[in-house]
Amino acid sequence: MVATVLRIRFRVLGNTLARSPMQLVGFIFGVIGALWMLLLAAVGLFFVGTLDFDVARSAVTAAGAVLILGWVLGPIFATGVDTTLDPAKLAPFPLTITQMMVAITAGGLTGVGGITTILASLLTFLVWVHEPVAAIAAIVCVPIGVLICVVASRTVAALASGIGGGRRSRELIGLLAFALVIFASPLLIGIVNALQSATDQGLQLQGFVTAISWTPVGAAWAVPGDLAIGSWLTAILKFLVAVATLGVLWLLWFRNLSASVVSPPSRSTARRKTGSLGWFGVMPSNPVGATWARSLTSWTRDMRYLRQLLILPFAPILVLIYSQGDATGPFFALSGILVGFFAGILPYSDVSYDGTAFATVLQTGIRGRADRLGRTLGVASVAVPLVVIADVVTVAVAGRWDLLPAVLGASLGLTLIGFGVSAVSSAFLVVPTPAPGDSPFKRVPGSSFSMFLTFFLCWALVAVLGLPTIVPAVITAFTGSSVAGWIAFAIGPVLGAVVLTVGVLLGGRRFDANGPRLLVQLRSFQGA
Amino acid sequence: MTDPSNTAPPPSALPDGVTPPAPTDSLPAMQITGLVKRFGEKTAVAGLDLLVPAGSFYGLVGPNGAGKTTTLSMATGLLRPDAGSVRIHGVDVWEHPVEAKKLIGNLADGVRLFDRLTGEQLVTYTGMMFGLSRDEVATRAADLIAIMDLTEAAGTPVVDYSAGMTKKISLACALVHAPRLLVLDEPFESVDPVSAANIEDILRGYTASGGTVIVSSHSMDLVQRMCDHVAVIAQGRLLASGTVDEVRGTQTLQDRFVDLVGGRHHAEGPQWLRQS
Repeated sequence: MVATVLRIRFRVLGNTLARSPMQLVGFIFGVIGALWMLLLAAVGLFFVGTLDFDVARSAVTAAGAVLILGWVLGPIFATGVDTTLDPAKLAPFPLTITQMMVAITAGGLTGVGGITTILASLLTFLVWVHEPVAAIAAIVCVPIGVLICVVASRTVAALASGIGGGRRSRELIGLLAFALVIFASPLLIGIVNALQSATDQGLQLQGFVTAISWTPVGAAWAVPGDLAIGSWLTAILKFLVAVATLGVLWLLWFRNLSASVVSPPSRSTARRKTGSLGWFGVMPSNPVGATWARSLTSWTRDMRYLRQLLILPFAPILVLIYSQGDATGPFFALSGILVGFFAGILPYSDVSYDGTAFATVLQTGIRGRADRLGRTLGVASVAVPLVVIADVVTVAVAGRWDLLPAVLGASLGLTLIGFGVSAVSSAFLVVPTPAPGDSPFKRVPGSSFSMFLTFFLCWALVAVLGLPTIVPAVITAFTGSSVAGWIAFAIGPVLGAVVLTVGVLLGGRRFDANGPRLLVQLRSFQGA
Repeated sequence: MTDPSNTAPPPSALPDGVTPPAPTDSLPAMQITGLVKRFGEKTAVAGLDLLVPAGSFYGLVGPNGAGKTTTLSMATGLLRPDAGSVRIHGVDVWEHPVEAKKLIGNLADGVRLFDRLTGEQLVTYTGMMFGLSRDEVATRAADLIAIMDLTEAAGTPVVDYSAGMTKKISLACALVHAPRLLVLDEPFESVDPVSAANIEDILRGYTASGGTVIVSSHSMDLVQRMCDHVAVIAQGRLLASGTVDEVRGTQTLQDRFVDLVGGRHHAEGPQWLRQS
């Protein structure tokens, strides 16, 4: 039965790739990326193996922990969960829950990510060959580690989309989980930091990795090394941690799946009082106001939109990681600019999230520029305050109040420029998205390489158009020239407003001509 | 049977705010000429001509894949035709889409609504999109929600509605700007008999007050009972059109339809499926 399900999975993959050459290109790029990572891992582990064994086993543990974290976090921020084998799709078949879980796990193991993970974890034997005891233990522990990767990823995704009965509570829990993940990210900073300073502060690194090795993410990878140096007791205890991790994850997933297969998570009643119109009662009664209210309602209530907003608080953390935790440096003080950049391209494909409800927009005969303006106002109402907060907080943490004008000017400039570019791009481009109410993690088939290309083109365009305000901001950060700072402050919003106006006009004209074609594409995604 | 005035309830079934403006011309409500749409190799609509008189209750019937939804999408400005034109009360849909769409109330099939909004928000949103004043929107939304028996559910997100309630709120959205022409794609699909009867009443009131209704349906009985005109299309072509009596002749519409379209066969199904 599991074999049959797996065959279906590969047939689906084959059919998808055969249908669209651009998707095939994307797939090949994915494979090349995976091979490159494998090569890096092989070279790295080979050299680590020749080093002192203590360093080697720490490196394996740390790498394994990062791998598991990647499986859990990746779907949230980047790839989405592959739903080719979705429990909802498997439910009609005569499979027990356990069989279903085995099938889904097997599906995860045989995807590009799964195969890469298996191969990479087999590469740890390059280290273990030096210690026969470790190699023997690894035969048991490596599969456990790989299984934890796949099962953890599935469980977290299932939990985020299925805890509790009610939709609101489920969404709330999902959001809290996201928030936790974000604030757990400093852990990553710690890891990167420790690795960076490994050479001169070996002791600290050892301590840190030892701590990691007791956690669910590290335990499985640490056991062979512990055995090899003869710490039988810690090895056994860590082995128990690993097995318990797998067991608990499996159990959580089992419970979640048992519940969601019989009662698919969609029905609940979150009533409003009659007459309570939300934003629709506030905005002016015209097409722009209507679109503004609807867009703002989505940006504040719909999980799929909220998920996109996560990138905003994450951007400064990303900068912190790259600058090795240096919160007082100029890079972190300028990270608000990155927040502004990400905020601007949030709606680069705004129409996609309408789904086929876009028909409602189209049949009202709204003018393109009114639609563009309403959508921009909607996202701006959420994103602009967030950008300002991020600017103030990062500048305050960095203690560089002198940079505030520069950062505000450049970040808001980039936000507005991004909105301008998005107003045009979203009149061209729709991408497959999870349907409203689906897990925001869900990876949806049908995205093609050309869509990614357009996306990166938008990024590049925003960055280039933003140079006149980014450059003075950077100059002021590194030279302390307050004149440059005020130049950035002045140029940013003005330039942004100009680009936004042009974007709304151009995008509006494009929208008028292109609206029906967008709807056709959205319909085809629905069928996919 | 074909004269709507016999069976129609009084026009007061529709709130005053959304009764269609009185016709000021003798132009047909919808005139389709030479409409063509191809999807790759497949021709979905192959040179369709159709004339829908103003004030008629027009049924559009055809087998699955006949091109009904495609035709109606093109007629309402949602899908660009490869060739041909559509005029709504004389306004060309593809040359003057904004003006034409103001005349049309559309219930499209196979598309979602913004279902995270409550029923009341959705109708208000649609009214605002058509640029009605805030007072107008509020009055009309309240009227429509009352007439659709949705007062209880007005504050519930549309995603939590049943299929019938969803059709009714879509209909409310289609009516809120008092269109002169209602285009309803499968308005009775998965609607329970009581809701269907209520919707039917509303539609009769609408035509009685001068509006035009086009419905597509799979149910011949329903079309024969409700509509005064009917068009049969298959494989993207018009097979017959006219008043219901003209099209069906002495037969029932069901039999006439099967004659026209063909494809009926009598088989008992495979051996292994029989239970005894």
